[in-house]
Amino acid sequence: MIAFEHVTKRYGGRLALDDVSWRMDEGECVVVLGHSAAGKTTLLRLITHETQPTSGTVAVGTFRGGRLGRGHRALLRRTIGVVYEDFRLLSDRSVFENVAIALRIAGHYSDSEIVPPTMRALEEVGLTDQQTALPSELSFGERQRCAIARAIVNRPAVLLADEPTGALEARSAGEVLELLRRIHREGSALLVGTTRPEVAEALGGRRLLLEEGRLRESASDAAFMPSGTTDRPPGRSGEAE
Amino acid sequence: MNMQAFFVRESWRAFRTHRGLALTAIFSMMAALSLCGTFLLLSYNVHRTLVAIGDRREMVVYLKDEAGNAAVKELQDKIQQYYGTSTFVSRAEAWTEFSQQVGDPELLSAVETNPLPASLRVKLRPELQNFASMDTCARQLEQFSEVEAVRFGAEWVRRLDLVNENAWRMTVGAGILVALAIVFVLYTTLRLSVLVRRPQIEIMNRLGASDRFVAAPFVLEAVVQSLIAAVLALALVFGLSQILAQRLESVTFLPLAWSFAFVGGAVLLAWIASSVAITRILRAVGP
Repeated sequence: MIAFEHVTKRYGGRLALDDVSWRMDEGECVVVLGHSAAGKTTLLRLITHETQPTSGTVAVGTFRGGRLGRGHRALLRRTIGVVYEDFRLLSDRSVFENVAIALRIAGHYSDSEIVPPTMRALEEVGLTDQQTALPSELSFGERQRCAIARAIVNRPAVLLADEPTGALEARSAGEVLELLRRIHREGSALLVGTTRPEVAEALGGRRLLLEEGRLRESASDAAFMPSGTTDRPPGRSGEAE
Repeated sequence: MNMQAFFVRESWRAFRTHRGLALTAIFSMMAALSLCGTFLLLSYNVHRTLVAIGDRREMVVYLKDEAGNAAVKELQDKIQQYYGTSTFVSRAEAWTEFSQQVGDPELLSAVETNPLPASLRVKLRPELQNFASMDTCARQLEQFSEVEAVRFGAEWVRRLDLVNENAWRMTVGAGILVALAIVFVLYTTLRLSVLVRRPQIEIMNRLGASDRFVAAPFVLEAVVQSLIAAVLALALVFGLSQILAQRLESVTFLPLAWSFAFVGGAVLLAWIASSVAITRILRAVGP
């Protein structure tokens, strides 16, 4: 489904990814663990074609390598669900519209094509009652659940999440992780980039360790775990919503 | 709801959400277009005045006394064929006209016999109403045996041509400057509107929106804004023309075709400017 073959990515003189090769199959759950600036976001951006590898090949489904044209790039992004740390919701639209926009982008315009799947996605993330609210009226946890609803409304084969609990306090983070777990159980492949071993712990699945641009399989995250973080919950403890 | 209806609704949403920005854009464009409309109004009225003056140009072909009716008729036919329409003025008619112009019977009584020749007053075709063509026509007509002399006020025509030419150059020069200013104002205004919504554009881009999906509502909004601005500007120019008409009777408002061209031009420019602006933003938000 997703395959990296000897992918290197440089930003000027800085090496973000160094000869990275790995693959991810359909329905698989992969957590990429790494410190800040280890290259996790670069890895996810390579998958969505927001950036191009300096060398090597990235294949996503039938989209394989090379620089895609704008039309193909848009098409690729419509087949992937992405959840960002900062939610990236449209501030001037209701929760319903934020989710529905993904369907409209995919070419659905009639109410019969929009309303049922949108309501279904909102129901899955528990935001049915908040459908008319604006993002600014939601807590951070609710915003992230709205972003997840938007990511899954088109039923993508793979869901990418870049530090999905990064901006959340412990309880909301737990809810979001539970939601991601459920989505994965229902058949979607899940690729999560995070600095937090506890997120990997909560999600299960295969773990990849990204250190200074190099990727390696990891049976345990003990080597990665920063000192004093073992007891931390999977979110920013004490952060106000 | 179909795709078009969705784009219209998106434009309306953007207009409502960024009401202040939209109104600023409309008023900025209106100010620029009012300037353009005023320039058009002045150009049109100067053009009309010059055409009216130019229409008075005529050529007088003085006939020899011995020229018979048949020869004069034949000459008129040739003039009709090559130069324009002619009106025969007999010696008696010429004297009557002259008498009316002089007006003093004592002075006229001093002239014993009518010294004025018969003539043909030639109204030249529009394409011949310039100094070079009139001069050539005069030389050619002088070759006819029935013709005594040809007069067309060469110096006056030459000066009028010069004024016409300078007015045209100034109109074109100023027109280009005004058009560039309008394009700049439209582009900058619309680009600002687009820049304000860059975060939204970026999000849609990341969600896989096609360029058309992102651009269509913006372009539609720009077109509607420019349409409103152009109509308001035209109303202002109409008001100005009414004020000027109270002082100068000859001032008239732009003809309907010019008004439609003005509004159509503004909308077209807005369409192009907003398309360029949104395309540049789409390129700038990254791959």
